[in-house]
Amino acid sequence: MSLEIQNLHVRTEDREILHGVDLVVRKGETHALMGPNGSGKSTLANTIMGNPNYEVTEGKILLNGEDITEADPDERARAGVFMAFQYPATIPGVSVANFLRMAVNAKRPDDPIKVKEFGQLLRQNMDLLRIDPQFTSRYLNEGFSGGEKKRAEILQLAMLKPEFAVLDETDSGLDIDALKIVADGVNALRGPEMGGLIITHYTRILNYVRPDFVHIMIDGRIVREGGPELADHLEEQGYDWIREEVGAGA
Amino acid sequence: MPSPTFLEERRKAALEVFEREPLPTWRRSGFWTTSLRKLRLDELEPRRYDPVSSLDELNPVVSEALRDEELAGLIVQRGASTVYTQLDPAAAEQGVMVMSLEQALEEHPDLVERWYMKRLSENEGKFPAASAAFWTGGAFVYVPRDVVVDKPIQVVWLIDEAGTAQYAHTLGIVEDGSKAYIREYNLAPDFEGQALHAGGFELYCRPSSNVKLAHLQDWGSGEVHDISTKRVEIAADAHCGWVPAVLGGHLTKQTLDIVTHERGSDMRQNGLYFTEGNEHLDIFTTDLHEAGDTTGDTVWKGALTGESRASYEGLIEIVFGAQNSHTYLQTHSMLLSPKAKADSIPSLIVKTDNVSASHGGTVGEVDEEQVFYMMTRGLHRLEAVRILVEGYFEEVIQKLEDDRLEEVVRERIAGKLTEAAEQVEDYIAQR
Repeated sequence: MSLEIQNLHVRTEDREILHGVDLVVRKGETHALMGPNGSGKSTLANTIMGNPNYEVTEGKILLNGEDITEADPDERARAGVFMAFQYPATIPGVSVANFLRMAVNAKRPDDPIKVKEFGQLLRQNMDLLRIDPQFTSRYLNEGFSGGEKKRAEILQLAMLKPEFAVLDETDSGLDIDALKIVADGVNALRGPEMGGLIITHYTRILNYVRPDFVHIMIDGRIVREGGPELADHLEEQGYDWIREEVGAGA
Repeated sequence: MPSPTFLEERRKAALEVFEREPLPTWRRSGFWTTSLRKLRLDELEPRRYDPVSSLDELNPVVSEALRDEELAGLIVQRGASTVYTQLDPAAAEQGVMVMSLEQALEEHPDLVERWYMKRLSENEGKFPAASAAFWTGGAFVYVPRDVVVDKPIQVVWLIDEAGTAQYAHTLGIVEDGSKAYIREYNLAPDFEGQALHAGGFELYCRPSSNVKLAHLQDWGSGEVHDISTKRVEIAADAHCGWVPAVLGGHLTKQTLDIVTHERGSDMRQNGLYFTEGNEHLDIFTTDLHEAGDTTGDTVWKGALTGESRASYEGLIEIVFGAQNSHTYLQTHSMLLSPKAKADSIPSLIVKTDNVSASHGGTVGEVDEEQVFYMMTRGLHRLEAVRILVEGYFEEVIQKLEDDRLEEVVRERIAGKLTEAAEQVEDYIAQR
């Protein structure tokens, strides 16, 4: 079981951003995709999820062997792909609890979750992420602080239990306490049933969520791959040495 | 029994205006026109009906909207006749009155004379004159001073046959220090053909009273023309929160005004509309501050499907000397079809200093980023749009603080979205 990216070329209205990306995330694995700002990490995340603002001009995205390159975002979601947004949209008038229930039921249209079961699941996951119970009656992301938005994203991850989760800059904008809570949550959700792709600019979340594999993206290409030690190396040296090496090799 | 002289004089003056004035056409800045040229007024007539002993004898739209709720009082007018009235004994004990305006004129002529058309005038145009000249039945709601009426006081205007002309008049007074909730529903089943509701509504919120007011308009799919003026006056230190929900009508021209008349008075108006098919809606609200130290807040939200047209114009007016008034108005409309057309026009007339008054208006479409976000959680595109539209209205709906009416409004909105589903989906996908 895997999420497989093959030779992916992606463009927006004005230019090509990804120039042939290959990446395989198997169930049970946690990958980190690192890179400086503007390297194309968020483009990859959005393309995996099917954001209509990004056009795939070449290559494929396969979910468990099935081509989902042209699938609508909701089809991908129901098939088990999830993305935690860097900047999630605000949904006025829709409470966190209501939204979660609708999202949970989207995957099981013929067998909607029972109110009691949903309540238990919600409480359990809110405890995990140390979220105030009153939080769920607020409108989704309306007036949320940066940390609350990220926690709400991870709460959705916990409730939806996808096969593959992309966390797009989930660590940005979090103070260290909030980061630890989010990291604890992600660690609790890791396991043989989920593959994860953690997208980040910084290494600090990787001190709490140790990845099995690290990929480094620069200018729309994956230029280095390795184990967690690659992240440690970046922590010490920054991105410049890679730029130099890539530049020298070219 | 002869009508009191004051009423006869008023009717006579109104008749003169009605006969003198041509059918009006409302034009604004050249591109927005509300025209009645398709209304065949001569073919419509006030229809009389016998009283009923139970709501079940009336068209089911009435009981469907009321949902067996316990009410402090109820008056139902079908066509030109008051057909049902009811008053909770506890409310009667408190001195609350809910009866036809005709009956009130007989039993309490002095009270009616004191308030009747204090804030409405036959000189406002042909249709205000028509309702002043021709109204029959009518609704009268009176809440004496220093009482709390827990349950809603309900007025229903029912049109259930094509060819009906309904001339309506509601007079409400909530005396000093009292608390009450007044609801007025305009209802019609779907029918083929034309009808007219020409209505006048006036409500006086006396000093230190606390009044909640809701209007629900759902005229169904018949060609009901609704030309109404509703006006609320708020006296010193009184508060009125008003939620008009305009959910259906072939052609609607409503003037909804709220006057903070004395110091310390406070108004909230949270309105919503949803137009579909080829409905035409033209709403003009005025938030008029006649005294200083008054406050106001107006929020309107609308959505449009089909080829419908909706214009919302909201005026804040602060008269000379009404210093230290603070008010805000915002209006939003959401287009759900490429052929629908919406206008949102807030405006200000401020004739005094040391006040704060501001306004804002938007006409928008469904936000693609929000739709994408919701789809990434597994929701179908249409479901996402439905949730967004319902969420958009929720801010206003919750202001009702009325479980049953909230339910009615939510169901109506969901129904309209379902009806327009294909069209909405096409529209969103094409963008």
